[in-house]
Amino acid sequence: MSNPRLSHSAALILKALSLGHCFGFDVMEVTGLPSGTVYPALRRLERDELVESKWEPEKEATANQRPARRYYEVTHEGRVAALAATQRYPLLARLVPEKHS
Amino acid sequence: MSHRLPSPLPLFDRNLLRIVEKVVPRAEREEWSRAWEAELWHMHHCGSPRRTSIAGITADFSIGLTRDALWLRTESWRHTFSGTAILCLALLFGLLLLSTMVALILNGSCYLLGIYLRDPFGRFLLEAPLIFVTFAAASRSHIEQSSASRRMCWIRRQIFFAAKTTLTSLLAFMLSVNICWLIHAHFPVVAELLQTLFFVIFTLIGLRWVFWDQERRCKHCLRSLATPARVGRPSHNLLEWNGTELICKHGHGLLSVPEMETSWCQSSQWIDQIGAWGETASI
Repeated sequence: MSNPRLSHSAALILKALSLGHCFGFDVMEVTGLPSGTVYPALRRLERDELVESKWEPEKEATANQRPARRYYEVTHEGRVAALAATQRYPLLARLVPEKHS
Repeated sequence: MSHRLPSPLPLFDRNLLRIVEKVVPRAEREEWSRAWEAELWHMHHCGSPRRTSIAGITADFSIGLTRDALWLRTESWRHTFSGTAILCLALLFGLLLLSTMVALILNGSCYLLGIYLRDPFGRFLLEAPLIFVTFAAASRSHIEQSSASRRMCWIRRQIFFAAKTTLTSLLAFMLSVNICWLIHAHFPVVAELLQTLFFVIFTLIGLRWVFWDQERRCKHCLRSLATPARVGRPSHNLLEWNGTELICKHGHGLLSVPEMETSWCQSSQWIDQIGAWGETASI
C-alpha cells in the first residue's frame, strides 16, 4: 500500500493520536489546533482507514461520572503513515508530547 | 437524545446541537449528537488549561461542530452522487451556464448577446448534427451485451446520451463564440471562419469524450465504472483474453475492454451480473 500524503495538520493529529491522545478534545489541547480543523480531519483519517474509532464502555464512563467519549485509535496503516509524516516533517516529533496516563 | 449526561449542557449548546444536527445525514445523526454532547460536556467540566475565555472556547466548538456536520453532509452527497449521470449532466450544465455568463459579460447585455449569437447559432444548428453523424459513423465504439438489456434501461441510456451530446455541443459552441469575440469587431469574416473552425475542433473533442464516457458507464445505473484491472498479457493476445476490466460499484455488471481488436474479440463486452447474483442468491 502506498503512503497517503498527509497535510501538516492531519500529520500533527495523527502523531498526537499515535502518542496516546485519543479523543477530539485531548487532540485539540495538545496540538493547539481549532476544533473546526481537528474534527473534520479525524473524520477524513477514519474514512481513509488510518484511524478507527470506538465508544468508551458506558460502565467505565458512568463510574467516572461523565459521558462516554469517542476514542480514536491509529491503525497499522496509520502508524506507517505517521512514521512517514514524521520523516517528512521532522519537527512534528517535537511538537507533540507523549501522553502520560 | 438517548444517552443521558451526568449534568445538562448549557441552553446555548443544546439549541446549537438541535439546529446543526439537521445538517447531518439521518443515519449518522444520533451518533453525531452523542459524540458532540460528550465533547461539549468535557469542554465545560474539564476546562482547558490553554484557553481561559469560555466564550472563546464555545465559539471554537460551535465552528467545529458546524464544520463537522457540514463535512458529514458533503461526504454523504459525494457518496450518493459520485459518478452518477445526474452529476455529469449538472457539471456540463454548470459549465454551459458559466460560458454563457462570460458571453453576457463580454457583450454587455442580453440584447447585444442575442444579436452577436444570431448568425453563429444558425450555423451551429446546421453544423452540429453533421459533425455528430460524421463522428458517430466513423466511431468504432460498440459494446456487445451478454444478455438482452431491459427496455427502460436502454431508454434511460439513450436519453442520457442525447442530453450529454447536446450539452457538450452547446458548450463547444459557446466556447468558440467567446474565443472569437475579441477579434469579431475588427475582422468579422476571419472571426466567423475561426469560430466555425474552433467549434468543429471542440465538438470533435467533446464527442470523443461523450462516446468514451458512455462506454465506461454501467448499463443499468449509468454510474461511472470503477476499479479498472489489467487482465491477461500482451503475448496472449491472439489466444486468450488481454485487456482491461471495469466493474460497477453497485454490482450490476462488468465491462471487458480488449487491448486490441482481434477477429474473435472486436469490441468491448458488457457482462450483466444482476441475473448472476439472483441465481447465486437462489442457490
